[in-house]
Amino acid sequence: MSILSPAAREVIIAFADDEHLMGQQHTEWIGVAPFLEEDLAFASIGQDELGHAALLFEVIVGSDDAPIDAIAFFRDADDWRSCTLVECTLQDWGDTLVRHWLYDAAEELRWQLFADSSVQALADLAVRAESEERFHRRHADALLDALLTVDDAAGRLQSALGRLLPMALAMFEGVDGETDAVAEGVISAPFASCAEAWKQRVTDRFGAQDWASIAAEPSANRTTRHGDFASMLDRIREVLDLDRSAVW
Amino acid sequence: MSQNPELELAVHQAVASVDDPEYPGVSIVDLGLLEAIEIDENGTIAIGLVPTFSGCPALAVIADDVTEAVEAVPGVLDVAVTWLTSPAWTVERISHDARQQLAAEFTVAVELGRRAPECPRCGAPTVEQSLFGPSRCRSVHRCSSCQETVEVMRS
Repeated sequence: MSILSPAAREVIIAFADDEHLMGQQHTEWIGVAPFLEEDLAFASIGQDELGHAALLFEVIVGSDDAPIDAIAFFRDADDWRSCTLVECTLQDWGDTLVRHWLYDAAEELRWQLFADSSVQALADLAVRAESEERFHRRHADALLDALLTVDDAAGRLQSALGRLLPMALAMFEGVDGETDAVAEGVISAPFASCAEAWKQRVTDRFGAQDWASIAAEPSANRTTRHGDFASMLDRIREVLDLDRSAVW
Repeated sequence: MSQNPELELAVHQAVASVDDPEYPGVSIVDLGLLEAIEIDENGTIAIGLVPTFSGCPALAVIADDVTEAVEAVPGVLDVAVTWLTSPAWTVERISHDARQQLAAEFTVAVELGRRAPECPRCGAPTVEQSLFGPSRCRSVHRCSSCQETVEVMRS
């Protein structure tokens, strides 16, 4: 654990919160995904994202369980820095697949910002995460390769994309102090610098988009929460709220 | 090598006595999880382990088992087990003996390089059925010849 500036903390928390909620969202498909392999895939991918979140929190608070739990589960909603794309609960598996692809396409670019971080633990984590993330992208791409060639499925995925893009674009919104974190070498550039490369990936995957007409939903530097956030956090804390000392 | 090679050897053997919870009888050392043992002059032991995947739910169990095994070594005062972020674990860290054991006892193959993993039963190439399997470090394949379902460890 190193001494981190407030700006570095904000940037790391934003990434950790995104990973934490993305992981939780994925795990909610266990048992209800359309076929067994998808139960397994979302369980494994969710497990990785939760692991990344825990390791990012560890960079901030050290490796003991209690402070990690405190920062992961018991902050006020105002203190989270997640984006709405991972906060919203999706009822449709097609939407979930598209979100999985959109998020992981951005996540790869986001880890690259930490590859030469002045915080060694983050640079190490970027290497480890990438070795795991390529499985996630292979999973999402394999399904999209198959489904985008079927008329009914392609139509549903394209309309999911239309619903999700305003939230997905808001993913690139920075946190307060992000430019300071860049100056300190914690990240090589603001997350927003990845947006153009990500849009190109979206275009290559789903076809041309009218980007000028798609507005990112504003989140005031990730300080406002989606309407689904509170119930999501309740579900995450369900066991701990019954017994704070619960372990398993 | 430390100042106290006997103690280091005993600690190494203690770590090696810990089995992977998923594969009873297969040592975590043979699976490539042990990265470093450091012993200071007071007999305090620091053990660095490498997780197969960062979200593996077995990590806490393995760390507890290692702590317990090493604490039982005479001359050890204190043990600290740390999960290292670097280097990343790869299947190349699995020993030859452990690969044989995984194949014979668990019908688990190890994916090395780009070659299709071989069926532990008949040696024919296997074909991937599902990228993700019963745990994060395994995918599910099927033998192209005898049709046996084969779990494949990969990284």
